[in-house]
Amino acid sequence: MKREDQAGLTRRDALKIAAGAALSVPVLFTRAMAAPAASAPRFFTREEFALLDELAETIIPADSHSPGARAAKVAAYIDGRLAEAYLPVEADVQQRWRDGLRRVDTLSQEMNGAAFLAASAEKRVAVLTRMAANEKEPKTPEEKFFRELKGTTVHGYYTSEIGIHQEMEYKGNTLQQEYAGEEPTD
Amino acid sequence: MLFQVRPPAPKEADLTTVYDAIVVGSGAAGGMAAHILTSHGLNVLLLEAGRKLDIESELKSMEWPYDHPRRGEMPRDSHAITLNEYTVRQPPYAQGTEYKHVYSYVQGWGGSDYSKNIVVDEKDHPYTGTKYAWVRARLLGGKTAIWGRLALRLSDYDFKAKTHDGYGEDWPISYADIQPYYDKVDLYLGIGGHKENLPHLPDSLFQRTTRLNPSEVMLRQSLKKMNRVLTPYRAGVTTDGLKHNKYRSKCYGRGACGRRAGGCDIHAAFDSPTGLIYPAMDTGHLTLRTNSTAYEVTVDPATGKARGVAFVDSQSGQHYEAKGKAVVVAASTLESARLLLLSKSNAHPNGIGNSSGHVGHNFCEHVMGPSILGRVKDLVGKPRTLDDGRPGGFYIPRYRNLEERHPKFIRGYGFEGGGGTGMIPGRALSTPGFGADFKKTVRDEAGAFVHMGGFGEVLPRYESAVSIDPTVKDRWGIPVLKFDYAFGDNEKQMALDMAATGKEMFEAAGIEVLHADSDILTEGWSIHELGTARMGRDPKTSVLNQFQQSHDVKNLFVVDGSSHVSASCQNPTWTIMALAWRSCDHLADELGKGNL
Repeated sequence: MKREDQAGLTRRDALKIAAGAALSVPVLFTRAMAAPAASAPRFFTREEFALLDELAETIIPADSHSPGARAAKVAAYIDGRLAEAYLPVEADVQQRWRDGLRRVDTLSQEMNGAAFLAASAEKRVAVLTRMAANEKEPKTPEEKFFRELKGTTVHGYYTSEIGIHQEMEYKGNTLQQEYAGEEPTD
Repeated sequence: MLFQVRPPAPKEADLTTVYDAIVVGSGAAGGMAAHILTSHGLNVLLLEAGRKLDIESELKSMEWPYDHPRRGEMPRDSHAITLNEYTVRQPPYAQGTEYKHVYSYVQGWGGSDYSKNIVVDEKDHPYTGTKYAWVRARLLGGKTAIWGRLALRLSDYDFKAKTHDGYGEDWPISYADIQPYYDKVDLYLGIGGHKENLPHLPDSLFQRTTRLNPSEVMLRQSLKKMNRVLTPYRAGVTTDGLKHNKYRSKCYGRGACGRRAGGCDIHAAFDSPTGLIYPAMDTGHLTLRTNSTAYEVTVDPATGKARGVAFVDSQSGQHYEAKGKAVVVAASTLESARLLLLSKSNAHPNGIGNSSGHVGHNFCEHVMGPSILGRVKDLVGKPRTLDDGRPGGFYIPRYRNLEERHPKFIRGYGFEGGGGTGMIPGRALSTPGFGADFKKTVRDEAGAFVHMGGFGEVLPRYESAVSIDPTVKDRWGIPVLKFDYAFGDNEKQMALDMAATGKEMFEAAGIEVLHADSDILTEGWSIHELGTARMGRDPKTSVLNQFQQSHDVKNLFVVDGSSHVSASCQNPTWTIMALAWRSCDHLADELGKGNL
């Protein structure tokens, strides 16, 4: 049941996020306002949320095989986890994400003369390519943020309904009378 | 469809009566002890330190990650100790933390919210000394609630290891003594597997085997040429079902046991409550008392024999003593040693059953860490198949120091592994880059990886020990264990060989090696702690006789992994249960003859 509903939910969600980015498309805005209150980001500002959503989609984009991180609501997943951060020990985690997003915009300004969301798709990829340069051993704050952003996006996406069923076409978690695979013949 | 029969109603414990036997601990060993003793018509009181959890609603084996509010993770105020913390810090690991709850590392696997109530909160259960990843499960059933399910037999290469290589001590039994009991455990509890006719890894009486996926078949075929074996995971899971047990379903290949920290909410995988304890309660002879933390085996001063067990109710804080004609300790290898050492009296000044001074010593386990990751090129981009709906992947039995002698180390190791795709592509994060190419690479390669990790025998050494910490106490005021334990050179040499031969086996099979790690994980990682109250023929150098009966106190038995003389490299649960069965047959017999 849930899976059939997915496309509809996804479209509605995309509208909400577009509204969050304060794009001036009145029709979309009105529809988004009618959506349940849960749609508002819980930790990030709407601007930060829109940026995060675009970053996640750039890391795992929609392609001909399946929808991407935006449809899988990865930004909402990250936002929810950060909203629930345990502050006695994780206040710095929240701060790291705020700073990280700010750094993305700063880097984009330096490279493209425009904030990340205002830059062209090609230029956005260039910003992320720079941040991903030392993925294995990140050194600069931007590189370190990329690793955290990618790790969390990957986790959020591949544990989502879209990630599991549409992208990975996972066939398990079901009842089988026989195990899959081959029995040794000798 | 997947029937779940409710547990039998418990009887109230009667602490004014003298039970035939008191069993301390309800895991694999204690569950088996309670089961066998009640099957002989004895009246048994089973004390379990932990709670009785509604395990089905904890495990929720088939819940999708996206249906969980945190995708299966624990609440943020809870913390699982990381490998790094175990390595750079000393226990007690929860000291100084601001987290509300701290759990052992098994919580770091996926699905931690499903097992957080199963393992202990380290804040309540500290320990001290050398670094050690001590995973404890305090609940009815103990660690069988989430065990890894690999169910292997030991052989005379293990029982007679000293005869073979001169190190340590032989066990006071041989394979012929325990083989009938392995058979009974197989038939009563159910095990899947494939016959291989290996002298060093005897076959069980198998139900339907699990199967191998293409990369595993490839490796099996190639290993044959090296005279090595890859066999389907021998899972302590009833793959065909058990007509005599109404509490357990057969396995339906849902794959949940591999995705999470273990556990099976239809009880196809063996767990002590449904496999042993509920059937024992149905005899009418078993009284179960949970939340009952034993802290002393009490002694009759006139005879020096065990009189019963003193325990604290972990909920009310009230202290009690239960009395029994025999006391069977099965609290887990390390907790059993702790209980014996805590049980000091005039008759037993070093702790009950410890005239040899060996209680807490000869502590051993399995060394883990070395692992190999490979990619099978031919499987890249293949249509998606279902590879994970089974209780385990494969096992490669020991091949070192059987006929030949390795120049650098004694004893052996085996590998556990698996190939193919699971629910979540584990390699996604380490796939470089981002964007459409990244996404496609993750998708195409997901079914092409194969991975295995070694489990090696750690030598028992007298100086590898636990003792009672003179000052630190747990939440209930019971003195805690202090560790004095570290891997030695034999383990380090063995680990290097694991990585080297693992790589060699993958390469020979044409599997591209992406990673071969020879680093050793923290002591304790295998959760296979053994020794600390070993059996033996000589009361001066051992704690128990061949029936896990104290040399010093004839109505005291210790039937868990603490009795093992050496660790072998095979997973211990099946041996623990076969030995407990044998010893409890003996106990019932001796009690009947008035010999205890």
